[in-house]
Amino acid sequence: MHLTDTDLIIQTQKGDQNAFEELVYRYDRNVLSIAMRYAFNEDDAKDLYQEVFIRVYRGLKNFRFQSEFSTWLFRITTNVCLTYKSRSKEHLRVSINNNYGDDENEFAAQEELTYKGSSPEEISSGSDLGEIVNAAVESLSPKQRMTFVLKHYEGYKIREIAEMLNCKEGTVKKYLFDAIRNLRKKLSPVYA
Amino acid sequence: MKHNEYKQLLQLSLFGELKSEEQLKLKEHLLTCEECRTELEDQKNLLELISGKKKSEVDEKVLTAARYQLRGALRSEIANKNIFGSTIDSIAQFFTTPLKFAVVSATMLLFGILIGSLLFSKSSGEELKTENGNENRFASLNENINISNLRFIDSDASDGEVEFTFQASRPVRLRGKVNDPQIQSVLTYAMLNEQNPGSRLNSINAMDTEVLMKYDQDVKNALVTVVMTDKNPGVRREALKLISKFPYDESVKQTFLYVITKDTVSGLRIEALNSLIEAGSQGNKLNQDDLNLFRQKLQQDDNPYIKLRSKTILQEYN
Repeated sequence: MHLTDTDLIIQTQKGDQNAFEELVYRYDRNVLSIAMRYAFNEDDAKDLYQEVFIRVYRGLKNFRFQSEFSTWLFRITTNVCLTYKSRSKEHLRVSINNNYGDDENEFAAQEELTYKGSSPEEISSGSDLGEIVNAAVESLSPKQRMTFVLKHYEGYKIREIAEMLNCKEGTVKKYLFDAIRNLRKKLSPVYA
Repeated sequence: MKHNEYKQLLQLSLFGELKSEEQLKLKEHLLTCEECRTELEDQKNLLELISGKKKSEVDEKVLTAARYQLRGALRSEIANKNIFGSTIDSIAQFFTTPLKFAVVSATMLLFGILIGSLLFSKSSGEELKTENGNENRFASLNENINISNLRFIDSDASDGEVEFTFQASRPVRLRGKVNDPQIQSVLTYAMLNEQNPGSRLNSINAMDTEVLMKYDQDVKNALVTVVMTDKNPGVRREALKLISKFPYDESVKQTFLYVITKDTVSGLRIEALNSLIEAGSQGNKLNQDDLNLFRQKLQQDDNPYIKLRSKTILQEYN
């Protein structure tokens, strides 16, 4: 018998751990995928995944079905990602000349990406292309990056992203446009 | 519509977010605007470049490891909740029994007297004072209390007094059978969270009983988490040895494969490899994916024994 999310949530609220596990398994691929795209390394992604579901577990007892479970879950996922401090940034050498704060517009524009061990020729030849793209996406401000990951990689609609980030669709569009503009600045030597 | 607005429509178009009438407007504009056509091409190229890895799926091994870690964390979460929850439940249950009202009233009265005596005594609340020639109130706490995190509020002794805060914790002694759920809960928690590697090691060794190995899935999940995440190789080794005593199944196999592919300590990789081979000799055959892994190991592992064993396994299966 197929149980709905609502059935599983009610059972979890009654203390059924198996129901919670089933609920996790329904969505955890998507959560891990977002975390991997956002964090760019396995350890951070696993930390994010764990933090998301621990928060879900804690919050589920007060869940009142006022929104879809999935919307609530992905809102938690985006919140956890946006507030997460990476364990390690060793794979990325980014020098940031600006405050890492709320200023979404100016943040990325003043960064300088440097790739230790890669000459400009190596970069343009594409030998480190994957790394360069990842570093460029990673250099976006948290909200720009999250919006871009959800839209471009995960294929969510702008309306859905707005629900997850708890903001207006216009704001999501703005993050998205800024993200594209910053990525173009970073990557134009590679693809132009 | 202004030119800049068309540029925004371009981006939304590439993300499949335009309504049909907007799409039509944009199409008409593109016919006459060279700049926007160039812009469209430029953005397509950018997104193609970024889409290099777009279609890759979530790595099953990462997902499995994440699920194991989550189980461990949830177990700790539940264990913590149970410790406080059961106490609160017991209190609540006690207070809701009608016959207990008289006892509760008497207790409340005594409690009130106790609070009153504390409030009106020389020391009150959590503030403890020692005075020359007077009783040593700290010593009256208990000799078994551990002191930690001492922080000075006033370290200037020029006026003859100092003030500080500290944390005091009392050890709890618990004795019981290893398969007692409470004992298991504490040991599993310690296995995953205890700072001291020796304590984690002892917790794992304490679990090494026939009963647990056969029946407790939660202990197995915790051991898998330890094998995958513990920073101490000795602790990982003990957990791996214990897992190899569990009945062989897919999760046990995945744990061995995880160690063989990911662990940096060659001794542990060898231990996992031997366990896998032993399971194979008992009728648990390896599949094509496992054999591919050994092909990879044969080429990439820096340990000669692992290379040799991988080669032998591949020969046996050919």
